[in-house]
Amino acid sequence: MPNADDIAIIGWNVSPMVRHTDKTEAQMLLEVCSGAVEHAGITRAEIDFTCAGSCDYVAGQAFSFVQNIDALGAWPPKRDSHVEMDGAWAMYEAWLRLQIGDIDTALVMGSGRSSTADPTLIYPMEMDPYYLAPLGTDATSFAALQARALIESGKVTERQMAEIAARTRRDGKDSAYAQVTGDFDVDALLAEEYVNAPLRRHDLPPITDGACAVVIARADRARELCDNPVFITGFAHCTEAHYPGVRSLTESPSITLAAKAAGVDEGPIEVAEIQAAYTHEEPLIVEALGLGADTLVNPSGGPQAANPIMATGLVRVTEAARQIRDLGKSRTLAHSTSGPCLQQNLVCVLEGDVK
Amino acid sequence: MSEVREMTIQFPYKRSLGPVVGAFMTALTEQRILGIRNGEQVICPPIEWDPATGNELAHDFVDVGPAGTVESWSWVAKPSEQHPLDHPFAFALIKLDGATTSILHAVDAGSIDAMSTGMRVAPRWKGTRVGHITDIDAFVPGEASEVAGDDTGPAAEPVEMMDYNASIAYTLPVTANELRAEQANVEGRFLGLKCPKCARLYTGGRGFCPIDAIELGPADEVDLPQKGVITNYTIIEPVPYPGQTMTEPFARVMVLLDGADIVLGYQPTIDLAVTDLHIGIRVEAVWASDAELDDLASTAEGRLLGWIPTGEPDVTDPDLVNRIY
Repeated sequence: MPNADDIAIIGWNVSPMVRHTDKTEAQMLLEVCSGAVEHAGITRAEIDFTCAGSCDYVAGQAFSFVQNIDALGAWPPKRDSHVEMDGAWAMYEAWLRLQIGDIDTALVMGSGRSSTADPTLIYPMEMDPYYLAPLGTDATSFAALQARALIESGKVTERQMAEIAARTRRDGKDSAYAQVTGDFDVDALLAEEYVNAPLRRHDLPPITDGACAVVIARADRARELCDNPVFITGFAHCTEAHYPGVRSLTESPSITLAAKAAGVDEGPIEVAEIQAAYTHEEPLIVEALGLGADTLVNPSGGPQAANPIMATGLVRVTEAARQIRDLGKSRTLAHSTSGPCLQQNLVCVLEGDVK
Repeated sequence: MSEVREMTIQFPYKRSLGPVVGAFMTALTEQRILGIRNGEQVICPPIEWDPATGNELAHDFVDVGPAGTVESWSWVAKPSEQHPLDHPFAFALIKLDGATTSILHAVDAGSIDAMSTGMRVAPRWKGTRVGHITDIDAFVPGEASEVAGDDTGPAAEPVEMMDYNASIAYTLPVTANELRAEQANVEGRFLGLKCPKCARLYTGGRGFCPIDAIELGPADEVDLPQKGVITNYTIIEPVPYPGQTMTEPFARVMVLLDGADIVLGYQPTIDLAVTDLHIGIRVEAVWASDAELDDLASTAEGRLLGWIPTGEPDVTDPDLVNRIY
């Protein structure tokens, strides 16, 4: 149940999710920021703090976030920050910032143009520069190592992975923000060749250009601006060691710790929007979060339907918020992840206002 | 479809290794693989801190391997240009004999059918080893390590630095405004974009007014004057690095065109000695004639050769120095 000093989501906007956009990252952000402040029923001038999540290696430009500030209308000057992480972590920083109590509203962004270069070449740049990056360790190779560990431990089967791919792409057909959707036959999927064994093409997320913006506000201001604010009642993130060889890849203690800290187990979770970009990650994340069979997972299609790197987690927040604001749910969850083999994990619990 | 432009960025990193990674890399040149003790654990490759507590580990190294057991693996059917092998291979987590954690490296097994969890592998060393994770060319099936090519022996000195070179080809969109601004420069003009709301005048084909966050387009275009004032400058003493063609000190100046609200950054000067350079000099643009086009620097903006003093009196506004944007 929301507390008096909780912080709430009061508006958001998500760009089209496409394989290749003609727009620059700043242009994508201009549109979602305009959309989010309009959705919140305010103007840019009423935003007290801004925080963005993006990645220079993805953008192909040093200090690319400085150009993105053009999208904010930051005059007179605004308090601004940036994280080289998914926009979900930018929202975490903004949530912390508002708790100081001197300002009321924040605009949070996540953006990425993954079509700018080959993601297989970009990802290694962000890994341990001594032991991993020089081997060109890409995201899909890491995921495949974790997938095999999970398969051989009996926690998931290739058939279950194909079923997850079919389910999420089917659910994504109803989403305005999905890129890869449709009806797929599980047997046909399993008959396909491996891309990076034990992963087949359907186990991988699409490569997506996209952006997302969210407006949050302190409780009093949120209720003033909005009939149905979505309160952030729990928010935490935890990390594990970077090097996958020192971890057990069949469990995720950082997810479990973050879920505990966010109070996931203090009530039922009706919908979980999780950043399971690769199919095998879904059962591991669901188990580590402690969710039961009655929790609906990724009804939007999740990252399997659209995976705008640096915004994927923040989009999960908007989808979990939409379940409350537009679809009548009362308690939902968003999850985001970063680093090789689910190294760092963020959990955000959302609840509707007390009526 | 907007225009795109391709460019390749090189990332030539040099990294210091420190006492733990450095010891590991030095040992690689000796065809040895080191782990580090952490209580009952032996962590390989060695790290500086206990992954569970963050406590610094004593530099208590222990030889592990060279053979080990595959704990998990993935098959890379189409290697990238950054991968260690140019033909299909496995990435594997390998628990080397004597270690309690796994090292991630390539296994050159020839075929996916030769791979299995639990299989035994040993390193294939490069003949020439420099103290780099790729001194192990790959692991190969079996118990015996091998050396590829002539063995040039261990490093003469402890290895303290490593190179990491990557390059990524990017394809970036060029907006319609940027294209029109570039075309204007080719024609010897400066394109301005005037915000319909605040009337600020921007240079360089800016996509939107950063104050009002509204898009700017052809309807907002104006031709800018060719004269302005130097608001700030830097004098660069050229140091030799790849691509640097300058040998004598040279200036780059910020020019605020008359009537514009943002400066043109890092502009070259003409007929202006670096010793005479100061804030407030009035300058005007010099464009290349057709005959001079070949002389333009590759970084030139259209036909712009640079900025030459007009001879008008200096501008003495003390706030000029703050105009770097």
